[in-house]
Amino acid sequence: MTSGTRPPRPGLGRRVLNRRGREGWAGWLLVAPYVLGMLIFVIGPLVAVLGVSLTQWSLLDAPRWVGLGNYARLATDPAFGRSAAVTGVFTLGILAINISVALALASLLNVRLRGIGLFRTLIFSPVVMPVVAWALIWKFLLQPEGPVNSGLAGLGFGGANLLFDPATALWAVILIEVLKAVGLNTVIFLSALQGVPPELHEAARLDGASPWQAFWRITLPLISPTFFLVFIVTLIGALKLFTPVYVLTGGGPADATTTLILYMFKQGFQFFEFGYASAVATVLFVAVLGLTLAQWALRRRLVFYED
Amino acid sequence: MKTEGVGAGRWTAPEAAPARRPVRWSWLLYLVLALVSLPFLLPLLWLFVSAFKSTSAIFGSPFDLKVSALTMTNFAQVFADYPFARQYFNSLYIAALVVPLTAAMAATAGYAFARLQFPGRDLVFILSLLAMMVPSELTAVPQFVLFSRLGLTNSHLPVIVLQIFSATGAFAVFLMRQHFITLPRELEDAGRVDGLGTLGVFWFILLPLSRPALATAAIFAVLNSWNDYFNPLIYLSREGLLTLPLALQRFTDPLGGVYWNLTLAAGVLVALPVLLAFMLAQRQFIESLAASGTKG
Repeated sequence: MTSGTRPPRPGLGRRVLNRRGREGWAGWLLVAPYVLGMLIFVIGPLVAVLGVSLTQWSLLDAPRWVGLGNYARLATDPAFGRSAAVTGVFTLGILAINISVALALASLLNVRLRGIGLFRTLIFSPVVMPVVAWALIWKFLLQPEGPVNSGLAGLGFGGANLLFDPATALWAVILIEVLKAVGLNTVIFLSALQGVPPELHEAARLDGASPWQAFWRITLPLISPTFFLVFIVTLIGALKLFTPVYVLTGGGPADATTTLILYMFKQGFQFFEFGYASAVATVLFVAVLGLTLAQWALRRRLVFYED
Repeated sequence: MKTEGVGAGRWTAPEAAPARRPVRWSWLLYLVLALVSLPFLLPLLWLFVSAFKSTSAIFGSPFDLKVSALTMTNFAQVFADYPFARQYFNSLYIAALVVPLTAAMAATAGYAFARLQFPGRDLVFILSLLAMMVPSELTAVPQFVLFSRLGLTNSHLPVIVLQIFSATGAFAVFLMRQHFITLPRELEDAGRVDGLGTLGVFWFILLPLSRPALATAAIFAVLNSWNDYFNPLIYLSREGLLTLPLALQRFTDPLGGVYWNLTLAAGVLVALPVLLAFMLAQRQFIESLAASGTKG
């Protein structure tokens, strides 16, 4: 982890001591821009969110102290409950589909085959597409009379309107997001799979293990550090995902895709309820923090390290 | 293009990993791969073809890829009727500021965290890990209060500054620290013997060895800056100040109906630089992304 203190070398005493003193200055000087920026723009605002969440504030007048009033309001606000539920489905949906598809794709792409690099590139390319461009393509394709819905009508699903039907809109957004982002996790899994020594699979096959058993008993434990990293990054990414949802549906129809982050944005920057918006942000932050800590605790028990 | 994969070359020893699939099955594998790639390829392909079509052609036959109907008028109109050139310049110059500033901050801070002793170092580093976990959207309200009190809304400054000191910035510092830790001490000692100071060792010896890590940090900074939607949405409202992600949604008639031909042409112009950069540097790009995931 840390580079540690080196044992002092004989004969260099005075010079090393001098250097330490100068290093202290140099060290602080070099981290100063970063530390100041983080304090002013991240840590400070984080603390301030807690403070603002205890007020009623439209920015036009002075903040009015309401104590835990915003949190009491959250507890009885059906729109908040609903957006929390939407966030749950949204996050779990993305997590489950993204990770299983990424693992399947990575296994599929992990073959020795001429031209396999082309397929890897194709599956990765949406990752570098600008988010808004990707969302707008799908917004067009999923228009009421657009290609996808007309295609569905041709298959006998007349009247389907995937993005504007409250029953399907959330899943449409989830699938569009997975299609955009899954290439990243695929590449990460692929690189982990290529670190699994082939000898282990050879040995397992000689011992009569089925490919399925080999995957669960050998591959998965060996790639579990990567699996956990991908899991937590995807989870937190999904919790805060804003742009594709906002561009595709704006939270509609009938709030069917209003996640917590969208709800926070609307309360703050559309209704100017900055105190209430900060309370939503705080709840989301506690969720992110809790999930991260839980992940660290679980990691010790579930992740297999080779040594 | 080499075919043995993106990661470390464990597959390079042919005797350890003999051809695993009989050749007669490979056509089936190609078929599966082609089918699986379609949902990833088709939207992009469709975007690039439709951008060259008239509105009626886009709607009339969306999957018709006939070349004869293609036209450049959408692109001309995007520049003639909208401040798109200005918006393009905004995104370009913001990225051109964000990327080197993030890289400089990450390199110097990463070096100090990895190689220098100073009081409070580990505490500060742990705080920065915390900052990396905080989704920057959650702190939008106090940040907005801060910038509006300073009279800086409807300026690019908040967009630039918040991009540098975002989770991406913190991640870049983390990445550079992990990289500097792996460089051998002997390099540094050799430089000291030659009379270099702390900054000299950093600048002349360690930094030149850090290009791959720095490139990874820069790639993330480019993508995030180019794609940033949330902060411009909050801080920018004047048409001429907008950056590309917001500008893409402004090709509408007064009733809010979307001019799809213009939107798609503009979409191509927004996607093109990133896709080109990706195609040119894809091997290094994918490797660096993969490495940042597996070393976690």
